[in-house]
Amino acid sequence: MSGGTMLYGGDEIGALVFDPGHHSLRVGYAQEDSPKAEIPSVVGIGQAAQASDTNLDPETKTDNNVTPGNSDSRKFYVDTNYVNVPRSHMEVQTYMKDGMIDNWELFEKVIDYAYANVIQSEPEYHPVLFSEASWNVRNNREKLTELMFEKYNVPAFFLVKNAVLAAFSSGRATALVVDSGATHTSAVPVHEGYVLSQAVVKSPLGGDFLSRQCRQHLEKHGIDLSPVYKIASKDVVKERDNARCTLRKLPENLTQSWQNYMLQLMMQDFQMNVLQVLENPYDERVAAQIPTVHYEFPNGYHQDFASERFKIAESLFDNAMLGAGQLASTSVGMCDADVRLSLFGSVVVTGGNTLLQGFPERLNRDLQLRAPSNTRLKMISANGSVERRFGAWIGGSILASIGTFQQMWISSQEYEEAGKSQVERKCP
Amino acid sequence: MKMASGIELTRECKHVFEQIRKMKQHRYVIFIIKDEREIRVDILGIRDANYDDFLRDLRRGGPKECRYAVYDYAYHHQCQGASSTCLKEKLFLMLWCPVQARVKDKMLYSSSFAALKRDFIGVQKCIQATEMDEACREAVEEQLRSLDRD
Repeated sequence: MSGGTMLYGGDEIGALVFDPGHHSLRVGYAQEDSPKAEIPSVVGIGQAAQASDTNLDPETKTDNNVTPGNSDSRKFYVDTNYVNVPRSHMEVQTYMKDGMIDNWELFEKVIDYAYANVIQSEPEYHPVLFSEASWNVRNNREKLTELMFEKYNVPAFFLVKNAVLAAFSSGRATALVVDSGATHTSAVPVHEGYVLSQAVVKSPLGGDFLSRQCRQHLEKHGIDLSPVYKIASKDVVKERDNARCTLRKLPENLTQSWQNYMLQLMMQDFQMNVLQVLENPYDERVAAQIPTVHYEFPNGYHQDFASERFKIAESLFDNAMLGAGQLASTSVGMCDADVRLSLFGSVVVTGGNTLLQGFPERLNRDLQLRAPSNTRLKMISANGSVERRFGAWIGGSILASIGTFQQMWISSQEYEEAGKSQVERKCP
Repeated sequence: MKMASGIELTRECKHVFEQIRKMKQHRYVIFIIKDEREIRVDILGIRDANYDDFLRDLRRGGPKECRYAVYDYAYHHQCQGASSTCLKEKLFLMLWCPVQARVKDKMLYSSSFAALKRDFIGVQKCIQATEMDEACREAVEEQLRSLDRD
């Protein structure tokens, strides 16, 4: 044997990069520009009794992602093409909680699926780099390390904070990273490549919160929210006319969790297309002057949306404690006085929710008001939606492919010698 | 603990840095990462060079190239209550990652910045710049002056 170090030279065999979030898990090969797949962070769980009749579905006959559980005979459905199919008694459950992996059983199903269907290679050939939330706890980090080495036999492993990756990929070693994702918005100060963990601030106002607001608003106005799976066909109708559509025949006993999940997907589409943030606090007169946006629902009903599209988005900012601007300035305020100026001087905006039109501009305005006068404020946000959504993944992809980074990995040899506590020693 | 990328400085870099710090032999030095392996000296600025020369050399590689730089910056400072001014010289270290640079280079340079900070003892200010408004003379001087107490 020629020593452990040669086995995971990143040049010969591609390292893999995993970036888990609440909305999806991003998976792909290092050195590529974008992830190979974006797998939703939910798993559909079917009942054992259903096994016989789901086999009649054409897509389940050939798919190899339906993993039979060992102790129980539940069926698991992973990835959009399988989760989004209406099935009786299929519950939908996420494995993430508070930015961290929580349900390890489901998480393993998704990793199994990723290796089998996305990577299509054996895990023992590829070093693995994972991103993690800045507030991830030791227990969780060690558990992930253990899982990757013990179950998947990876040759090498590394764990990096997603805020650090986002800062680096914007060309900054010191930055305040404002990340607005599905379940929360966080402000994380990064100083010289390390997270100042005592000054991390987060709030539960994210994309999912907006989805709920949209749903409430639309239901209040009596708009029928039938997701696309219910619709068989639809006719063209005039604006604000009642929809004329025929419904699909659906399996019985669809679970509430699955229906909610499908409704949420529909609301995500609505909010990305319709909502917008005003640069200044919401004002009815200003909002009324901005052109309306047209949106057609899956059932064919369509109408223009005017000032309400700003009013709903406003809730991300107008909250006294949890508004994004407040969050960012609180975080900076908790750091040492000598780094505050450099943090205000490089605010990195990332996360899928920041693609909401006007988000960075409004954050800039709110932060300027809260920063000490004559502070030089600088916002850095990637222009493309791919860079904004996959910022942390892209950062990880590059880091794992740098030649000199190969000495940073925790090798399987090191793991065998010192155990899972290696992760605390080697990955800051 | 080592910094994230694992890239190291060559001995030449430290040598040139000491030439500026102790002997004041050059006005500035610009560093480059070679072959994604190590940090090397790219351009040396003579002692009489001015800030515009520096900005030109910093961008000599083109608008998409990242660089590091150390500059020995001199300015006049008027102490409170004193009528005369005194000349101050301060060393600053710059991370130059232009907005148009490839993400790969941004990542490489920013994740290796800690190595320079660690090895260049005597640098008074670290400046990160992605656009000219952060690298221009006014912005830099403002940052250096903010270190003066009175």
